[in-house]
Amino acid sequence: MTDKQLIDPTAATLGPSNAAATSKMNFWVILRVWLLIGGQSFGGGSSTMYLIRREHITKRNWLTEDNVNEFWALCQLTPGMSIVAISILIGRKLKGWKGILAVLSGLLLPSTIITTILAAGFTAVGNWTPAQALLKGVIPATAGLSLTVALQFAIPLLRKGWNEQVASFIFSLLVIGGCATLSGIFKFPASFVLIGSGVVAGLVFPRIWRNIQKTQEQSK
Amino acid sequence: MNPLEFFLTFLKASLFSTDGLGNLPSLHQDLLANGIATDADFGRSIALGQISPGPNGLWALALGYFTYGILGVILALIAIIIPPFTVLLVAAVHSRIEHLPWVKGLMRGISLAVVGLFIIVIISLVSSAGFEWKTLIFTIGAFGLSLSRKINVLVILGIAALGGYLLF
Repeated sequence: MTDKQLIDPTAATLGPSNAAATSKMNFWVILRVWLLIGGQSFGGGSSTMYLIRREHITKRNWLTEDNVNEFWALCQLTPGMSIVAISILIGRKLKGWKGILAVLSGLLLPSTIITTILAAGFTAVGNWTPAQALLKGVIPATAGLSLTVALQFAIPLLRKGWNEQVASFIFSLLVIGGCATLSGIFKFPASFVLIGSGVVAGLVFPRIWRNIQKTQEQSK
Repeated sequence: MNPLEFFLTFLKASLFSTDGLGNLPSLHQDLLANGIATDADFGRSIALGQISPGPNGLWALALGYFTYGILGVILALIAIIIPPFTVLLVAAVHSRIEHLPWVKGLMRGISLAVVGLFIIVIISLVSSAGFEWKTLIFTIGAFGLSLSRKINVLVILGIAALGGYLLF
């Protein structure tokens, strides 16, 4: 029996509240698909998203493009890992709470086991001189990778500000610089810096956006 | 640090992060201050997170192992799973809050703050390895190679490991 035959073909187009449709999904099939996703997604979030799309939209017709895009937008408003959040929404749509369990188990079990084994291996060879030499190259390299991640975070945000108005761009730079200063020089707790920045930006950005709107209306 | 404090430290970091390595600045600050972890632990954990399959955010599990053993992995795993469940709440109220300007502003502010905090972590990681030309070559090289997006992260870390072996 194929995966497609194990589910109600209408399930992909029905909302998560439709228990009758979602309950037709097979727990073990969902788990198997997500074990494959969890075990194959080398290279982080983008490859995981690629596999999620391939397995659910292209191969199985379990979800539509619109489903995934809508879920992804919701995840941008959610704290923590977006991949885990979108997996929760997909799991719920496929089979309610059992679906969430299947999806999270599949996504996280392989990587948890592999990460733990590798970490144990690292610890075991930690004092071995050649291993330390390898790490002397790897650790500064992770700083370089982190710099790329920081840029990947920063560029879309700064571009958004730039496209809105100079004030928005400058304020964005000030928030980045201010947070780095508060944390690095004044040693403010990271959670305080994050909440403070959120509150200040929640007050300032709407004012900037109102000004932009006013300017646009006046120019009309 | 008792297991509950350890768990709450990871939970707080995950709650105030927006993605993958977003929990790094908070964990870095808290665990370094308590003497639970070193910059080397963070470097090893980030590297392992890149090597292992699954989302990059699971680097925190490696950090859990290096600082608290198997229990650390389990506590870190629970701590990174809980915050994304708020997506169910967001899904329920989304249509009512998505257009509120202060919500958009707040989310953007938190994302900008993560960038600012990242700068401090990067400086700390580089300085832990020593500001000498040999280590800076690895940082700049990895940055340049990863920026191009054409080279797999595993290859970059492999080159760094080989270079470390030859140079040090």
